[in-house]
Amino acid sequence: MNAAIRTENLEKHFGRTAALDGVSLAVPEGAIYALVGRNGAGKTTLMKLLMNILRPSRGTAQVLNADATRLAGKGFCGIGYVSENQQLPDWMTVGALLDFCRPFYPTWDRALAGELVAQFDLPLDRRLRQLSRGMRMKAAFVSALAYRPRLIVLDEPFSGLDPLVRDELVDSLLELAGESTIFISSHDLAEIESLASHVGYLEEGHLLFSEEMSTLSERFRDVTVTLPEAAAARADFPAACIDVQIAGPVVRFVHTQYEGAATERQVAEAFPSALSIVYDPMPLRAIFLAVAKSQRDRARLAQTNARTVNV
Amino acid sequence: MIPFRVQLRPGVSLFEQIVYAATRAMVAGQLRPGDAFPSVRALSKELKINPNTAAKVVAHLVSVGLLEMRPGVGTVVATLPDSTARERTQLLDQQIEELVVEAKRLGIELDETQAALTAHWNKLGGTEKPAGTRKGDS
Repeated sequence: MNAAIRTENLEKHFGRTAALDGVSLAVPEGAIYALVGRNGAGKTTLMKLLMNILRPSRGTAQVLNADATRLAGKGFCGIGYVSENQQLPDWMTVGALLDFCRPFYPTWDRALAGELVAQFDLPLDRRLRQLSRGMRMKAAFVSALAYRPRLIVLDEPFSGLDPLVRDELVDSLLELAGESTIFISSHDLAEIESLASHVGYLEEGHLLFSEEMSTLSERFRDVTVTLPEAAAARADFPAACIDVQIAGPVVRFVHTQYEGAATERQVAEAFPSALSIVYDPMPLRAIFLAVAKSQRDRARLAQTNARTVNV
Repeated sequence: MIPFRVQLRPGVSLFEQIVYAATRAMVAGQLRPGDAFPSVRALSKELKINPNTAAKVVAHLVSVGLLEMRPGVGTVVATLPDSTARERTQLLDQQIEELVVEAKRLGIELDETQAALTAHWNKLGGTEKPAGTRKGDS
């Protein structure tokens, strides 16, 4: 598999804090990889390492088949990078920004730039500092996408934007999605879910999982067991079952390694008196919450830094 | 615009949902033979899905003969063999199973369920036949 991004045991320390620890992931070419995780999990740090804004403490990162630490100048011609609080030259007009960027990128497509400006209703003669948050982000997008970069890296691009703007930005990404690889971090899980082909979950600097969206969807199930009478608490749930809740005769938990009939048999054996056992697939947001809560609860229980557990 | 109804539910395979929605539309006669089918790009943009997923959907529908590629035109709905009432009923399979499971869970008997079904059927009125109905349908 040709990887547009590949990291091996990537580590970044700030003083004694490990912002990233042992992160190994691979983003296949043409993929749309969603990096999700709580605030402060290390997503921005990871992206800055990939863009050579920060240096790793240990480990390696390859971006478009070159060492990320060597990324400079012309190396960025094939990469479009937009961060959450993108700094833009506020005194420039939108038009001036595009005129300024164009000469740096041999593959700049004027027609595409024009189309994006039109689709986004961007006023070319308005200064960037006069634009709303959404408009600024659109301007940043045009300046980053107009040259059809092979790799698009987006750090929380939808943060604080209204649904229509988000919709328009997603459309612009879909224009390029076929030919480009997209690496995007976002809290907009609903939006990301249908877009992303791959997803990685970062928790306190550790990658809990990194896989195809389809396999993630297939292995997570929300399980509801209805028993004939009030359920007793039990401590024998396997590690694959998280977020256990018991209320009266109903036991609910999230199974993280669902494998169809085999799993259903195991669960049926664990609850031989069950009146019904229902398996519901879970949207990405529900998966995120279940994993995040499980990690939070472990941390509280251990009363130390969270131990990572493979989910 | 996509010429058939797709309501995407999160958590269930997008590929399966769209293939199902398209197949249903074709068998029910909403999409007729010769009608243009949305391009991969159009599907991807309208449904806000990964273009790879859209491409898989189209490739699958072509491979099972529901769509065909016409040079210069794009993908069009293939000339369908007459679908029997039996085939159309199979499309409802999942919903029927869900209904049965739910009814049993609530302790409702078969005849009560049938009565409820009939009531709803009549309430929605009309006996519109879909465009694809052929004479001699069994």
